[in-house]
Amino acid sequence: MFKLSDEGVAYVKKELERYETKRSAIIPCLYRVQSENGGWVSPESINYLSELMDLPVAWINEVFHFYTMFNKEPVGKLHVQVCNNITCCMLGARELTEHISKTFEMGIDELSKDGKITLSKVECLGSCDTAPMMQINDSYHENLTPESAVKIIKDMVHGN
Amino acid sequence: MEIKLLSEHYDKKEFQSLQGYKKYGGYETLKKAFSMKPEQIISEVKDSGLRGRGGAGFPTGMKWSFLPQNGEPRYLLCNADEGEPGTFKDRLMMERAPHQLIEGMIISAYAINSAKSYIYVRGEYNYPIKVLETALREAYDSGLLGKNILGSGFNHDMDVYRGAGAYICGEETGMISSLEGKKGQPKLKPPFPAIKGYLGKPTIVNNVETLAAVKYIIRDGAKAYRKHGTEKSAGSKLFSISGNVNKPGTYEVALGYPLMDLINNECGGMKNGRKLKAVIPGGSSAPILTAEEVQKTTMDYECLAQMGSMLGSGAIIVMDDSNCMVDLLKVTLHFYHHESCGQCTPCREGTGWIHKIVSNIVSGEGRLQDIDLLEKISKQMMGRTICALSDAAAMPTLGFITKFRDEFEFYVREGRSKVKEVMAHA
Amino acid sequence: MPKLTLNGKEIEVPAGSTIIEAYKQLDEPIAHYCWHPGLSIAGVCRLCVVEIEGNPRLQIACNTQIQEGMVVNNNSEKVKTAVKWGLDFHLINHPLDCPICDQAGECELQNQYMEFGKYDPEMAEPKVKKRKVVDLGERVVLDTERCILCSRCVRFTNEVSKTNELGIFNRGDRSEVGTFEDKPLNNKYSVNTVDICPVGALTSKDFRFKQRVWYLKNKPSICTGCSTGCNVNVYYNEEGVFRVKPHYNKEVNGYWMCDEGRDIYKHINRKSRMLRGRYKQNGVWCTTQALEVAKKAGQKLSSFKGEEIAVLVTGQYTNEELNSLVDYSVNKLGSKSVFHWKNNENNWQDFDGHLIRGDKNPNTKGLQGVLQKYAVGGEWKELENQLSKFKAVVVAGPENQSVYFDIKEKIESLKSLECVVWFTAGENSNFEKLSDNSYLIPQKTSVEKNGHFTNHQGLTQKVEEVTTILPEALNLEETVSLMLGNSLDLSIRDKQEMGVLKTNYFSQERGSL
Repeated sequence: MFKLSDEGVAYVKKELERYETKRSAIIPCLYRVQSENGGWVSPESINYLSELMDLPVAWINEVFHFYTMFNKEPVGKLHVQVCNNITCCMLGARELTEHISKTFEMGIDELSKDGKITLSKVECLGSCDTAPMMQINDSYHENLTPESAVKIIKDMVHGN
Repeated sequence: MEIKLLSEHYDKKEFQSLQGYKKYGGYETLKKAFSMKPEQIISEVKDSGLRGRGGAGFPTGMKWSFLPQNGEPRYLLCNADEGEPGTFKDRLMMERAPHQLIEGMIISAYAINSAKSYIYVRGEYNYPIKVLETALREAYDSGLLGKNILGSGFNHDMDVYRGAGAYICGEETGMISSLEGKKGQPKLKPPFPAIKGYLGKPTIVNNVETLAAVKYIIRDGAKAYRKHGTEKSAGSKLFSISGNVNKPGTYEVALGYPLMDLINNECGGMKNGRKLKAVIPGGSSAPILTAEEVQKTTMDYECLAQMGSMLGSGAIIVMDDSNCMVDLLKVTLHFYHHESCGQCTPCREGTGWIHKIVSNIVSGEGRLQDIDLLEKISKQMMGRTICALSDAAAMPTLGFITKFRDEFEFYVREGRSKVKEVMAHA
Repeated sequence: MPKLTLNGKEIEVPAGSTIIEAYKQLDEPIAHYCWHPGLSIAGVCRLCVVEIEGNPRLQIACNTQIQEGMVVNNNSEKVKTAVKWGLDFHLINHPLDCPICDQAGECELQNQYMEFGKYDPEMAEPKVKKRKVVDLGERVVLDTERCILCSRCVRFTNEVSKTNELGIFNRGDRSEVGTFEDKPLNNKYSVNTVDICPVGALTSKDFRFKQRVWYLKNKPSICTGCSTGCNVNVYYNEEGVFRVKPHYNKEVNGYWMCDEGRDIYKHINRKSRMLRGRYKQNGVWCTTQALEVAKKAGQKLSSFKGEEIAVLVTGQYTNEELNSLVDYSVNKLGSKSVFHWKNNENNWQDFDGHLIRGDKNPNTKGLQGVLQKYAVGGEWKELENQLSKFKAVVVAGPENQSVYFDIKEKIESLKSLECVVWFTAGENSNFEKLSDNSYLIPQKTSVEKNGHFTNHQGLTQKVEEVTTILPEALNLEETVSLMLGNSLDLSIRDKQEMGVLKTNYFSQERGSL
């Protein structure tokens, strides 16, 4: 059974008060659930959130499915998101994505064999002047080459 | 030639903090604003000719004047959901000059008599959000936000709201829906947000750059601001330039600046000395310009409209002759297909349909009638929906297939790109 | 009231009307899916486009308020082309499973395509696949692939039932309507979502695959499920009644009705009915025509004194019927001992705030009026306390037995009397327990007779004969008349029924295939 930590519950209570309506707290609370649930939001946790927030579960589920930053499946500790929009593609983002995929033997939106990495293609991350680029969890990595990207990921996997 | 107005202190690390910002005259303009009447500020902004810098280019002062003239509470929302492919100027502003935005917002809020504002930032902008949150804390701690700001009697609260990954939230009513805790689906207009916006209350939504510009208009006066730019496109503009140029980045120039000068001077010319093929001048939804058209393009609202394109968010994507236009249209349409919110049928179905057709062509399975079909579908997607996303997918499609029709025909006939080997599966 | 010109015709509309309302008022064709007069405006199907003089862009009629002097049309080539393409956009990902879709025949996608369509599909790409036959609980089945995402059902659960179960999940052409994790849609008004679904995405479990809709006729009636008196349409053919749907009445039920009301047809059909009259003599039940039993019952009752007879009445009969029965009791039998039998006394006053009332009778107000008129009327309790005083009882029993949980109990209590005359539409195995000199007289149901019901708010509404299920059954007026010794010719009804059986509605209404 998924449950938020005490701090998590306190956070939800605070967010419910923070905006003009309770409903506005859905996005922040989904973020909280995602971070406490190992990087993704399970159906079970949506049910839990609905009860905790006292809001219809369909409302929460609509928001959950609408926004791409809420992960629908478990993801690795490193969520590698390579921008595959226009400028990045012009400058080799797809070749780079394929290189990462081959190196770590994983498909798009799939977990690597060791379960540590998920590779995703994402839309424009607003860093086109440093294309190609990727986001790993919350941080940007810019001006990449296939080799530098792989090195960054390897370093992170090894905790450097 | 670059103008240093909004971007003047971008190079100074200390400008991020309140202390650093104050060193360069930060919040002095707010004091000046408080010495003025709200109506004076609105008329100054009107006189400045400032137009929305997010994409639509609607005159800011006029937008403000649509608010009802009564005591009803109203909201100010800062649109920092920068998502138009090719655009990154707002991110830079939030990272380098957060107080400049906050000051512009307090002045604007004072002008429209709003007690509450939100900065809606796209969820991926984790670092800018942290910077803004710190800046807001500093502002509260120094009495620049909250009750009776600087003894003016004006109260204002400001908060940051983090989006969660949806391009459509950059559309102002989509943003309002999102802030209300719903799917970011645009709302029917009328009523317009100035009458019924966030939670049904009068609401003004302005872009980051627009709100920051308000500070400089009040600081220097409308006349001084108007010294830059053209009659109908007043002031300076931050352009995000990316693609096959030597020095991509954000550059502030006067509106009306020649596009070729931007490419050759500010951006150091084409990378690897390759030949210019085309430019998308205003974010990926702006119809593409051929190299020939680029020669006579100046970066202002009128010229780009005349060229059948638009200034948009000021995102310039420069392409050299190594790019396959069929391939890039596929990439562009993948985006709109992915981002359509799904409520209006022509957009929901149309974005998927044209994306599938172009993908088929790229896979070597196109039919010759597909090119005409793309045109027919695109025309029926335009002007048919609640917001402009459908148009944003249709316009570049029409631009690409009209201006580079030979490449599309070649691709269909030969089953391969005329220009290069394309990763058809990716 | 502003005036405007629609398709060249001048029309005056109430201030604040939208263009689509004006089209409806004028009965001019206009394509639309998402707009529904009982819901908020979504403006998403983009089909109700119109051209407004002076405006270069097409506008949607549902979200455009009428201004004095507007000149509007939806028959220009520009509009027609937009609508054609609008329909094609709806269709490109819609499965072509009409032959196995229960909505066929009343599908708005079919109907509007026939009227406004492009007839030249250009979609050559594979369709988006979505989930089919999703079980949404007791009454509704969902096919997400057929859904055109008009959002009517979602708005219904948010705005009308206020139960918020439904949502549209995901975005773009991956959008899917549904409940969270396929939770059941078991609210008390759920089938309204089926009614307002323009396509076969939401279908009724009870109705699906029972009949092709082109084999059904419908006529208006009143729901007898409770004292609200929702206006309904009854769908029927020679095999009986198949479904009940709400019929708009601003004063009573708006556009909606509850799910429970949808079930009232079940006790109307032959399967639940008392098909022939019965009476018990010397310990043996004899079966004969209803009118024969009525005559016998009348004769038997005349052998009792007025004070020996009690009458027990439910609010399940028309005003006309109740009047004739009470009049018979007071003026012919000489009994003023008339008692009101209510369904469950405990929740008699219940009301869910929308349509459902605890008083499960269509005509309680009417009954009270009749009792008052004859200055009679008591509660069941009073009758129970003085039961030994009576030798005979006449019961106008409930047509809808399913809401009278105490029917068995009542039969038990009354069987000690010398004579029981019971009017009933439905069969009930407990009737067997009645003693000698019991008379069971089959009654017509509300769809088989003419008359009036007075609902909880005192509004008297007409019911008209929709169809004949059981030609032999009588209404109360006929029964009383027979009990008084009058004769009745039922042969005409048999002919009517024969006529019904031979009718082919499809060829009658649509022309032959």
